[in-house]
Amino acid sequence: MHQLHLNSFFTGRYGKRAAHLLMLVFTVAILDYSLGALLDYYYFKQQSGWLYRTTYALNETNAELIILGSSRANHHYHPDVIGQRLHFTYYNAGRDGSYLFYHYAVLKGILKRYKPKMVILDFGITEFMKNQESYDRISYLLPYYKTHPEIRSIIELKSTAEKLKLISRIYPFNSSLVTIVAGNPVFHMTKDGDKEGYIPLHNKWNEPLITYNSSECYEFDTTEIRIYKMLIQDCINAGVKLYIVASPYFHKLKSTECSILEGRKIAGLYNIPFIDFSGNEYFTARPQLFDDSYHLNDQGARVFSGMLMDTITGNTAGTPGMKLSGYTSSSSNRNK
Amino acid sequence: MEEKDVHDKLETSFRKVFNNNSLAIERSMTANDIEKWDSLTHMLLISEIEDSFEIRFKLKELNKMKNVGDMIDMIITKL
Amino acid sequence: MVFTSFNFLIFFPLVLALYWLTPARYRYITLLVASCYFYINIKPVFVFLILGISVIAWVLALLVSKTENEKKKKALFILNIAALLLPLFFFKYFGAINNTLAALLAENNLRWPLPEIRYLLPVGISFYTFMALGYAIDVYNEDIEPEKNPALVSVFISFFPLILSGPIERAGNMLPQFRKAQSPNYDMIVKGMRLILWGYFMKLVVADRLGIYVDSIYNHIPEHNGTSILFASILYPFQLYADLGGYSLIAIGCSNALGFNIVPNFNKPFFAPSMAEFWRRWHMSLITWLTDYVYTPLSFLFRKLKIWGIVIALLFTFLLSGIWHGASLAFVAWGLLQGIFLSIEALLNKKKAAFEKRHNLDRKSWYLTAGIIITFILFASSMVFSRAGSLDVALTAYRKIFTEPGKLFIGSPSTIIYFTCSLLILLLKDFIDEFYPEKFKMFEHQSSLVRIASVSMVIILILLIGVFDSSQFIYFQF
Repeated sequence: MHQLHLNSFFTGRYGKRAAHLLMLVFTVAILDYSLGALLDYYYFKQQSGWLYRTTYALNETNAELIILGSSRANHHYHPDVIGQRLHFTYYNAGRDGSYLFYHYAVLKGILKRYKPKMVILDFGITEFMKNQESYDRISYLLPYYKTHPEIRSIIELKSTAEKLKLISRIYPFNSSLVTIVAGNPVFHMTKDGDKEGYIPLHNKWNEPLITYNSSECYEFDTTEIRIYKMLIQDCINAGVKLYIVASPYFHKLKSTECSILEGRKIAGLYNIPFIDFSGNEYFTARPQLFDDSYHLNDQGARVFSGMLMDTITGNTAGTPGMKLSGYTSSSSNRNK
Repeated sequence: MEEKDVHDKLETSFRKVFNNNSLAIERSMTANDIEKWDSLTHMLLISEIEDSFEIRFKLKELNKMKNVGDMIDMIITKL
Repeated sequence: MVFTSFNFLIFFPLVLALYWLTPARYRYITLLVASCYFYINIKPVFVFLILGISVIAWVLALLVSKTENEKKKKALFILNIAALLLPLFFFKYFGAINNTLAALLAENNLRWPLPEIRYLLPVGISFYTFMALGYAIDVYNEDIEPEKNPALVSVFISFFPLILSGPIERAGNMLPQFRKAQSPNYDMIVKGMRLILWGYFMKLVVADRLGIYVDSIYNHIPEHNGTSILFASILYPFQLYADLGGYSLIAIGCSNALGFNIVPNFNKPFFAPSMAEFWRRWHMSLITWLTDYVYTPLSFLFRKLKIWGIVIALLFTFLLSGIWHGASLAFVAWGLLQGIFLSIEALLNKKKAAFEKRHNLDRKSWYLTAGIIITFILFASSMVFSRAGSLDVALTAYRKIFTEPGKLFIGSPSTIIYFTCSLLILLLKDFIDEFYPEKFKMFEHQSSLVRIASVSMVIILILLIGVFDSSQFIYFQF
């Protein structure tokens, strides 16, 4: 047993070790705090790139029409075609690999600042499938935790220990270092050429049509459904005209996907139009309108956006031989 | 056979298997001390010893021979 | 719960504290409870499997040891081995064999009576089965005494740091440590923590980042050109080293912090100048296990065939290793390749030694470097089978490498930048440890300032570019 005298504690063996441990904690804390602050500063100084677009959507856009969704939203809704028909200013807030949690957060950030006239939510055929990725990708929102109290509850859905992890100031910027450096004015890159967030794709798909492999339904993610309902309700409360759209896939769908059925059902309960182009045969007959089996190219986006506008404005005397499915307006409740 | 004779005969076997005519073995030596003595050559050595001394080892006995000294002792019990 | 989940960062310190606070005589009980809790958090129902295997191992080892009659002893021993292998066979191989047979018969319009089987493989079963087998064999060979306390056998087999991916330990090393009442050793705890930190660096910063790129190629082999596949194939061994090596360090570090000495698993494998040397540095615990329990008995059995006995033993041992890694022909091919490489080396050994002596080569650094590079190429080429997972994907990959060059797929420049930097750091550290072992020690430097600074840097690096979840991905649009 050691006899520890208080005045010689820090020169004794255990004292030295305790001191070293404290120094370690202190050093890590200082480094984390300062590097985190630096990353934070340069993150928000970006003027281009993926990360900047999220900032722009949450903090700056004032567009009358907002498109929400994943990469599909990003590549499918053509601003020129839509602008011609609706005469609204347009911003496309779609982001690669994002899910409902992200879309809802963007909406909340927008609604806090102003009321858009219209919102289109792009809805995927497996939207309600339980999927760890949908939670992991909430990390896109981490840098906004501090400045956007309205989206904190969504960010905390990412994992039970998220608040603990956010003690680290570097954590929200994990893996963004290179992107932040590249997105800053000094290294400004404008090769994307995006029009108000929309990104055109130019490849022409030429593979054969394959049947989408799903038959039975799966367990729904109840949290995602809850967020979906909240999204709808927030739009209603704010007086925003919401359209939920399942855009085309280059897949043969055996029947209507169960997420679509559920999404449509819930939308119906709130009297929100749900427009389903997911299995539309006009598109599955034309691979040249697609970039790959999940995304339309620029030409396809123009065609699809035109058809969507026809549906929304009630002008269905459009292209002959075309089949539409789903709701065309909130007043007609015909199931297909 | 005397221990010294066993030692010398064993040394001959080592020299033959490891292709080293100046190799000298001592009781304390293990595979770590002799280059080329590893799991890929060990069984060649064992087989050579068996031929040279005209004895047969059992698998359980291999584990008990942890160094050259153990080998010498084990060989003596079999002669 | 796995090492890289946040929950583990809470679980382990708690267990560590609880463990050292428990009176020495009962510490193994704390560990057993912690291990069960750990395993329940992965998949509750499989706890019963692992405890069941422990009980079987305990009972049969005692019976084998108590039996005097040689014939009965052997029979009980065979029963012991069979009982321990049955779950592994059932979960890992039965499904594959069943489905393959069904497919084969279906091609000939015959029906196979059993339905297609898909189950979840109990995590760690390959590892703890081998540990239990080792115990059974050691008792039979009278190398160790059977353990009377079933809880000790259970804690040995289910010991949570080792259960997921090893290192594969031996009862002879572990049981005495579980029995011993020891006081906490500060230096050992700190040493363990350092290993854990470096293990996390290897896994999160190097392996998982490399994995993002390698996956984007290997999961879409038909869509990529040979150049990209070649690049991914060169990167894959490094990914695997950082992954399994990192994980092993975390396992060893946790064990050290709990006061246990564990065998190492990797020893700077990419500096091996020959395949034989490589396999003494890669996944060492598995290789020594296979050497002791498969290779040695086999090479002993065939020793009259001299070098050809060695070759047969090598081929069979590595074939078994391949099968252990995975239930598919691709893994069999991989295992067989290792056996072939080692056999060729063994056969050419004398000629090679003479050649080296004549030209005084074994001290020349260019010769060493050439050996290192050739060994790496041999290993990386065999790993194509392992990563591809199936024979036809592997052969497609090979074909493309030789016949379809093209523009290298980048995908995500930041991914490449991150893994290049972190891999260089890892290889630099290994290089220093290999050729200048006592110099440039960072975590163990004399000066506390250097120690604190280097540990802090690694922690910050993990926070900055560690891969924490699937939000890091390469968006592969084709």
